[in-house]
Amino acid sequence: MPPTTASVVPTAKSAWRQQLDSLLAPPEADSRRTTWPTLMLFLVPALLVYAALTAYPVLRTFYNSFFLINDIASSEFVGLAHFAEVFKDKTFLAAVRNTAIWSMVAPFFDVTTGLLLALCLYAGVPFARFLRVAWFTPVLLSYVVVGIMWVWIYNYDWGVVNVALRSVGLGHWAKAWIGDPQFALASLMVTHAWKWAGFNMVVCLAALHSLPSEVLEAAELDNCGWWDKLVHVIVPMLWPTLLNLYILAFIGKMKVFDLVWIMTEGGPVWSTETVSTYVYKRAFNWNTFDLGYPSAIAAVWFFVVVGFVVFFNLLFRRRERLEY
Amino acid sequence: MTLPISHAFTGRTSNPLPTLIAGALACIALTGSALAQTAPQTVSMWSHWPDEQSKRGFVEERVKKFEATTPQCKVNLQFIQKSDLYASVKTSVRTGQAPDIFWLEPDEIAFAKSGFLEPLDGHINLNNLEDWARQSWSHNGKVYGLPVEAYTVELYYNKDLMKKVGITPPANMQMSQAQFTDLVKKSAAAGITPVASGVGDRPYPGAYLLQEMLLRKLGLDDYRLLLTGKLSFTDARVLEAMTWVKELVDAGAYPKSFSTLKLGESHYYFHTNPGAMMFPIASWYTGRAFVSADKGGQPQGFPLGLMKYPAINGAKCPECKTLAVGGSYVMYSRSKNKECAGKLLSSMATVENGNKWMEDVLLQTGVRTDPSRIQSIHAQYFKDLQERSVGAKFFIGTPLHYMSGKCGDTFSQVLNRAFPAGLISVTDAASQMDAACKAAS
Repeated sequence: MPPTTASVVPTAKSAWRQQLDSLLAPPEADSRRTTWPTLMLFLVPALLVYAALTAYPVLRTFYNSFFLINDIASSEFVGLAHFAEVFKDKTFLAAVRNTAIWSMVAPFFDVTTGLLLALCLYAGVPFARFLRVAWFTPVLLSYVVVGIMWVWIYNYDWGVVNVALRSVGLGHWAKAWIGDPQFALASLMVTHAWKWAGFNMVVCLAALHSLPSEVLEAAELDNCGWWDKLVHVIVPMLWPTLLNLYILAFIGKMKVFDLVWIMTEGGPVWSTETVSTYVYKRAFNWNTFDLGYPSAIAAVWFFVVVGFVVFFNLLFRRRERLEY
Repeated sequence: MTLPISHAFTGRTSNPLPTLIAGALACIALTGSALAQTAPQTVSMWSHWPDEQSKRGFVEERVKKFEATTPQCKVNLQFIQKSDLYASVKTSVRTGQAPDIFWLEPDEIAFAKSGFLEPLDGHINLNNLEDWARQSWSHNGKVYGLPVEAYTVELYYNKDLMKKVGITPPANMQMSQAQFTDLVKKSAAAGITPVASGVGDRPYPGAYLLQEMLLRKLGLDDYRLLLTGKLSFTDARVLEAMTWVKELVDAGAYPKSFSTLKLGESHYYFHTNPGAMMFPIASWYTGRAFVSADKGGQPQGFPLGLMKYPAINGAKCPECKTLAVGGSYVMYSRSKNKECAGKLLSSMATVENGNKWMEDVLLQTGVRTDPSRIQSIHAQYFKDLQERSVGAKFFIGTPLHYMSGKCGDTFSQVLNRAFPAGLISVTDAASQMDAACKAAS
């Protein structure tokens, strides 16, 4: 016989109350568990900060991308018009191309340089302690300092690069490195690699020290030369670390802004324009006020970056656990 | 027993604390209101020119005098580099947090169009502004800026270097196209950089030479059509002017470090190290150059000359010249201190202050002046500057005053940077400008 409504309601109510009681009850066996109020006490401040400073700005950017916004107080709904314009915008497409080149190519330089420096230290070069500090120092410098320093290094008249070239009789190779569209992007990539080489070196060095010594000793017993040991033993064992470093660098370069802004502001002729610098220019540098269009670019690029993160996760999910 | 008044009427006794608190709060409110009426308003003011001592000094002195004569108004004056100031102001006007008065140039008239600026018609005496300067800040019949700084686009040169390459400027100080080409080629051959310009931190100095040539070649009306996207850059006259400038570029007119040389550095490059033959720049050259050499100014006794831009072949208007309003002060439309802000701007917009600006800064102004009363230690320079403008027909505004958005960005990247650096051909430059500007017109 089916239960009557009168008999069901009290049962449901008591089940709900039971669940609530269990949530509010103090932990019993598991010392890692706590009551909901205590949990919320610790969670809410962090969640509020996250909501206010991350979630809301992101959601607001998506929202703004559907409007023509000259003022926060007044805006005009334009639907998908900004998105349609983004894909026809030649400067945006140039910025995407530059960012893509930078993201794909530069991480190879970064990781390779870091690995080579780490191998030097691992092999016990003289002054290894000093070199470790010296090579890591650029990581500690701000982009502003690095940018200004490298603008001087690349200076046509008295920059170190051109002075060095002239002093060895290669003066005809001297160039305005960041003033020439053919070399500007590559010059910035070199600067970026210089700044981050120390970080990659430290990570690679830690990974090298954690390699199982038995494997390396076995390779030596088998008369394996240093090159073969590097190519067939060390690099394969470091592969997960190198992949992680590559992906970290890749994601970072998809958002690169500071260095470009300080050194070239995206010039000459948009040859170093990145998506981030273009968004900034459209929002704050052009003598227009619309915030909707730059928001649309930012929204599109957000999904591109997320797409790549998902892609890399899927690609390496079964192989290694990736951390960002 | 004495009862509180309210209770005396009712005859009931109760706790007097709430009444006392209410009374105290009322007293505080009244006192606060009275204080608010007597407390001075503090006007916030952001200005460019942190590193241009003469202009900065002029503004500081005006503010100090205003505070002395208007005790109910205080001014919180800050000097901020232009790029930082623009970035801050563009954000803060949207959120209601902009300063009461800030520095702006007329190419940012979009601020007025978007309703962020207060019309100054009711605050300052507009008769104290030059007509052309007033027009630069006009939108829908209202005036939005106090045009403190105005300038003409000039061509400075080093008299000694000119002698060194064996060239004497003509009596009317305007070379022909052939003479100018010869000057550039002889300078380059002598190892002297012909034109000291750099675009490392500005979107316009690289285009000065070309823009002045286009103005002279086309005349006032067609030049305006060109800047507003109504005349093509592939027009034969435009291409002729560009082709000649490209010839100069290819002859090595600009420094090799042109792309990264900053505006301040280009001044130093011209007058000190390594030294250049010419310096095409606005007449605000003085702001940086006429300070002591240890602060980056030109060396004492520097042989500074001032000549007219060359008369390009087939020029429709060889006497034409660019005159523009530069740094101006505007009032934020949502300012809570409009009364004091208006009084401050009004105190600056006087003929006396116009004269003072010209004496101290040696630069034109959009505020009316009485030249007969101007006295300065640089009187000869000022006389030369005025002589170069005798009989001139002025075009009001620079290209960036007319170009905005994509068109302005393309001007900055192509005509300002790539073309003078020799990175792009005449036809490429013209087609890129047309693509960006004709669509926007």
